[in-house]
Formats: sequence, C-alpha cells, structure tokens
Amino acid sequence: MRLIRTLSLVALCLGAGLPAIAQDRTGPLRIEITEGVIEPLPIAVPTFVAENPAAQDYATSIAQVIAADLAGTGLFREIPKEAFISQITSFDSTIQYSDWKAINAQAVVTGAVSASSDGRITVKFRVFDVFSEAQLGEGLQFGGAAGSWRRMAHKVADAVYSRITGEGGYFDSRVVFVAESGPKDNRLKRLGIMDYDGANVQYLTDNSSIVLAPRFSPSGDRVLYTSYETGSPRVFVLDVGTVQRRALDVPAEAMTFAPRFGPDGQTVLFSLSEGGNSDLYSMNINGGSMQRLTSTPSIETAPGFSPDGSQIVFESDRSGTQQLYVMPASGGEPTRISFGQGRYGTPVWSPRGDLIAFTKQSNGRFHIGVMRTDGSEERLLTASFLDEGPTWSPNGRVIMFTRGTQGAGGEPALYSVDITGRNLRKVSTDGPASDPAWSPLLK
Amino acid sequence: MTPNTGTYVSGIGHGVLILWALIGGLFLRANDPLPLQSTEVSLLTNEEFAALSAPKSSPNVPSETPEVIPPEAEEPAPEVTPAAEAAPEAVVPEASPPPSPEAVPDQPQPEPLPAVDVPADAPVLPEPPSEQPSNAETSAPDATPQPAPATRVAPEAAAKPEPDAEVSDIATPEVAPDVSADTVAEEKPATAPEEATTEIVTEAEKPSAPTTSVRPRSRPVPPPQVAQTQPSDSPSEESAKVDDAVAAAVAEAAENTNSASDSRPAPSGPPLTGGEKDALRVSVQRCWNVGSLSTDALGTTVVVTVNMTRDAKPENGSIRMLSFEGGSEAAAKQAYETARRAIIRCGASGFNLPVDKYSQWQTIEMTFNPESMRIK
Repeated sequence: MRLIRTLSLVALCLGAGLPAIAQDRTGPLRIEITEGVIEPLPIAVPTFVAENPAAQDYATSIAQVIAADLAGTGLFREIPKEAFISQITSFDSTIQYSDWKAINAQAVVTGAVSASSDGRITVKFRVFDVFSEAQLGEGLQFGGAAGSWRRMAHKVADAVYSRITGEGGYFDSRVVFVAESGPKDNRLKRLGIMDYDGANVQYLTDNSSIVLAPRFSPSGDRVLYTSYETGSPRVFVLDVGTVQRRALDVPAEAMTFAPRFGPDGQTVLFSLSEGGNSDLYSMNINGGSMQRLTSTPSIETAPGFSPDGSQIVFESDRSGTQQLYVMPASGGEPTRISFGQGRYGTPVWSPRGDLIAFTKQSNGRFHIGVMRTDGSEERLLTASFLDEGPTWSPNGRVIMFTRGTQGAGGEPALYSVDITGRNLRKVSTDGPASDPAWSPLLK
Repeated sequence: MTPNTGTYVSGIGHGVLILWALIGGLFLRANDPLPLQSTEVSLLTNEEFAALSAPKSSPNVPSETPEVIPPEAEEPAPEVTPAAEAAPEAVVPEASPPPSPEAVPDQPQPEPLPAVDVPADAPVLPEPPSEQPSNAETSAPDATPQPAPATRVAPEAAAKPEPDAEVSDIATPEVAPDVSADTVAEEKPATAPEEATTEIVTEAEKPSAPTTSVRPRSRPVPPPQVAQTQPSDSPSEESAKVDDAVAAAVAEAAENTNSASDSRPAPSGPPLTGGEKDALRVSVQRCWNVGSLSTDALGTTVVVTVNMTRDAKPENGSIRMLSFEGGSEAAAKQAYETARRAIIRCGASGFNLPVDKYSQWQTIEMTFNPESMRIK
C-alpha cells in the first residue's frame, strides 16, 4: 500500500514536470546578461555644414562645443575627425552607416548652420544610431542671435544627450560662484556667473566686501547670497538681469546667512544668529514676517528644500557633532539621517529628489558624498585636503564643488564629478573660485 | 528428546572428527613448497666502495667549438620575371550611367524641423560693476585629480595593453619575421584586451573600503513635482512621443512574438551545453555598454528576442523588446537600444554557436539585467 502511494507520488511529480521541460525545449534559447561594460560611448560629431559663407565659423565652433559638452560628461568619447571615412557635405545627405561602423562610431551627430543678414543664425541637427541604422528622434533646429551661438550649441548637446541617455542634459545652464583674488589672509571676493563649462564669465558684484554662498532661484533669474557689506553677514537678493540687489527684509541687528530659495521661488530659507545661537527661519522673498523653524540652543544652518518643497534638510550639532537632519518644511521634529563617522554639512537635495549630496569631514580628509534621503547608501565620491559645498546639475547627474589646496599658496577651484564617482574634472575658471551654485536649465 | 541423544550426537561427531584427521589428507592437494628467491651478492673492498660512492666529475669538454660548416650554397634561384601577359592592365572603368530616379535608395527626406527660438536676451548681462584692482597673481591649484586606473569597467580586469598592441579579446604576442627561422611565420601585431577594471573606484574609496550603510529595501519614490521641474518643454514633448513609440513597439512586439515563434520550427536535437550558453553570454556582454545609460535605465531589465541566421549572426530586423521591468517606458527604450546595440555589434562577425544545434538557437531571448552594473 505504501509502495503504491509512493509510486503514485512519483508519477504525479513526473507528470507535472514533463510538460514544463517539454515547453522549455520547444521555446527559444534563453540567456540572461547581467555583466556588461562601462565605457564612454564613441560618438562622431562632424563639423556642421555651413549653408552660407557667413555661417562657416559658427558651423565649426558649434560642432566643437557640442563635442566638448558630450565628451565632458565622461559618458561619450569623441572620435577624432581624422578617423572619419565619410564626410558630411550636406545636411540631407544619406548617412553611410558602414563607414561609421568601420571606425566604431555608435552615434553620429550631423548638423548645419545658416546665418542671415539680420545677425541671426539657425542651427539644425540630427542624431543617428549607427548600429541600428536609424535616426534617433526627429531633427530639430534652434534659432537666435549670432551672439548666442554657444547657447545654441549647448541646446543641441542637451538634445543629443537626452536622446542617447534617456535623461535630460545640463549643458545650457550657468553657474554662479565666488571669484577670489588676493593673498590668502586678505582674500577679495565677488560674485561671478558663467556658463556651466566656464565660458562667458561675468561679474555680478564688486570685490569691496566679502560675499558668500550664492544660490540661484528656481527660474535662474535671481541669486540669493550673503554679504558683509554692512559689517555683519546679511542675506541679499540680486536680479541677474539688472544686477540690482537688496537686502532681505529682516531686523538689521540680526545676522542672516546660508540662504536658499524654495521651489516656489518665493519662500526663502536662511539661518539667523542671535546671541551666538543659530536657528532656521523662512520668509517670503518680498517681505512679511519670518517663521522660525527650529528653536534649540545648538547651531542649525545650511537649510535646503526637497524638490517638492515638503521637507527641509539641514545640518545641526544638536547631537554633539555636526550631522544632517530632515524635517517637515513647516518645522517639526527633525530626523537625523547621517550616522557615519565624522562630521557632515552643507546638504543639498538632488533635483530628482532621490539623493542628498553633502560634505563630510573624517580622519582629517574632506569628502563630497551622496546618500539616499533616508540616510542609507552613503557613498563618498571624492577625497582631498578640502572638498566642500556641493551643488547639483539640473539633471541630478553631476555635482560641482569647491576644492581647496593646502599651504600658504593654496587656492580654491571648482571641480565636478559624476554621481557614480567617475569623471572628476576641474572646471575652467579665470582664477581661484569657490562656492558654486548651478542654475536650472535656461529657458 | 531422550537423555542418550546427546551422547549419540557427541559420539558421532567425535567419530567423524577422528576419521577426518586420519583420512582427510587424501582429499587435499599437497602444498607445493614455496619457491626460494636467491640473489647473488659479492663482496666489495673499501677502495672499491669509495670509488663507487665518490662524486662523479664532469666529463672533459673540448674548449674548442666545432667549426660550423655552412650548408652548401644552393644555386641561386632563377629570377622570376612576371610573364608579360600577367601584367595587370590598367582598366578604365566604364562610366556607369547615373541611376535612374527609381533606383535611388530611399533617402531620408528632410523633414520639417521643429524650430526653437533661443532668446537673445537671456545670455546678455549688463556691464560688470567696477572692481578694485587685485595685486595677487592667480595660478591654478597644483592638486589635480588622479585619474582612475582604467576608465573601462568590464567583468574581467585587464592590464593596460602595450602601445602597439591592437585591441582584441584574446591576448597574443607579436609575431615578427625571423630571418634565421626555417619557416617564415606570418607577421602579426600583438593583440591584447582593452584596459579595464572590474568596478568603479572613486577618489574617496579604495577597492577594500568598507560599506557604509545597509541597502534599503525599496528606493524612495521621487516626488511627482520633479517631473514638473523639467526646464524645457521640448524634452517633455519628445518623451511623450517616445512613450507612445515604446508602447506601440511593445504592443507590436507582443503580437509579433507569438506569430514569429510559431512560424519557426520547434527546436530539436540536443540542447546547448552550459559552456556553449556561457560562451554566447560572454560574447554579448562584451558589447553591452551601459556607461551612457541614465540611472533610471540602469534600473530597468529588458527582455529582447532575436532571430539568428545559420552562420550565427543576428537578423537585425528581428530584434525586438518583449518586455521590461523596473523603469519607465522611456528608460526601457534606452535600455533596449543599448541591448540591441550589443547584439548587433558583437554578432556582426557571428557568435560562437554550434551549427548542428541551430534549431536550438535560431531564436534567442536575452534578458539584460543591469542590477549588478549599478553598484559597480
């Protein structure tokens, strides 16, 4: 009886398993790929076609800026033009995919530039996936004043980047920063603004007084910063277009610093110090009463909103050491999110909302790092004598920060790094620079 | 049983034993005497033993090297003169007639490009305020970032190849012509795999750096407002078009997959061995470059089907995405394009698959799962 039962069970198992095996044999071969490679994508950017003689210089320069933008991300590798087999002589000419495959170009950007007599230029481009032998998206064209040719190049690069990677670009953006000069013990500082790649530097203030921590508004048309022009730190708001500035409407005797815009462009977060105690406040940029968000004997500073405006991340030494905390935007009980060794500061919420960048000091070294908004998955991206003040690119993929060097002759400079920790690069500036703040993409 | 039974049994037993002792030997074969092994020995004197155990000296080597006698010179080979008729003639190609309009391949007509006007006022800034002169010289900081050991991250680490070496999957030494060799070897340049490391090593960490926190169970959901903060309208319009295209492609793929697989004969014969499958997997992953993928696409797993020719090359037109998991449709499209590129690139010269098992691999479903690549 027992033997019969066992045999029945075996028969049942076989009966259930055989169809599955048979089905597997009749289906396609299935394999799973879990390991790949991470390397820059080879891309070809032939010189754009000049559709009239006046556009010749622009055609060359625009293609160069596009290639530099893409290669600067570390995600792409520009194939030298000397290696090209095909030459693009017309914007509408057929792409010879075999020629581009032969030099392992995986994407090709073609374009043309025309200049009109009224000082405007038009830039049009197409992107091709070589191995798929297909165009990526539709062609697109930008028009504008000839003086804006760099912006148009950045816009083309943004579109190419977006079509290949699937995420928005960050090339048509600006960075406001503190330009420094003079000896280390008597540094002169002024606000500068430049393209994200260091081009087109212009200055927004003079260097008669110390300025600190500039921060863009969500629309990029205004900048908040801290100035010592009244003798003590005070928050100012500056219109980028007119360079007109005014102090935030707070009591004159209060020391205010570390300002940052809310996502609505109206609310301002800042620290206010009275009697040696710093707390967080918010208020409307146009005036009105201040709202006190924290009330502790410890030092709270470097506040920043989450992209949806519902939460605030800031640094505080309420636990005895400088750590990061998150609390509701209206105030309330904060939650500590940093628990690693060392001190944490200058937190900044990613535009995507998924990460918080920070400065960490540990074992005599400074780091730029990122962590999830709950404090998990902390990753340190850099390490040096002095790294601080991270700011996010508009697409949340790159972090720019200040790196200082040791010694009497040490000078600060701007660096950028991908959030994977790769592609650490120095940003080209005219001289020493610090405290960068990345703008949103320009309209 | 009677009391005498035991006596009888005992008596019979003892009788049998006595008989066996007396006549048992008749039934047994007498054992042959064991053969004796003998070894001849001889006595040695002390002098003879010392002579045998003394270390042997090397034989005398003549100091003069034998004269090398060159082989007799062969008669010089007759000079080869090309036959006059073998000389190539310059052939003037006939001028081909211009292709008729019907013969011209489909050339993409310039579609009307959507125009975006770049405002001129945005980049223009007013004159900068006057500044106080600075008497300090500016110089670039001396600390420059150290480059990573290798920019390429691959499943297997590879050292930096020699400058002259060609990039190849297999490292082979350079073969140079050797005039003294009997046989002339074909000249080949050295090949070596491209320099690669197995993981991203940031400036802040060493390969042995401890992990700092526990991976969370789920990723925080980005707030919906993030999507609204897209700074440009055109990308959102493009992404909408991409979403539609992806949805259509997925629907089409779902419809076509069944019909495509139905029309093909069912696999027969022995299945691929594990090694054969691994070889295919390694071939594909060598070209699966996720370096330019967005972080969203790096969280997306796509299943791609491809039909194969008998010479183990993919039919590029048959590559389709069957399904995706873990990301948006736009991310899936990027992940699919990367997977498609890998199949086409590394399959261009044919995968290493057994021809006799073609029915087993004429259709392949590949699942591209980048999970482990996210934390490289």
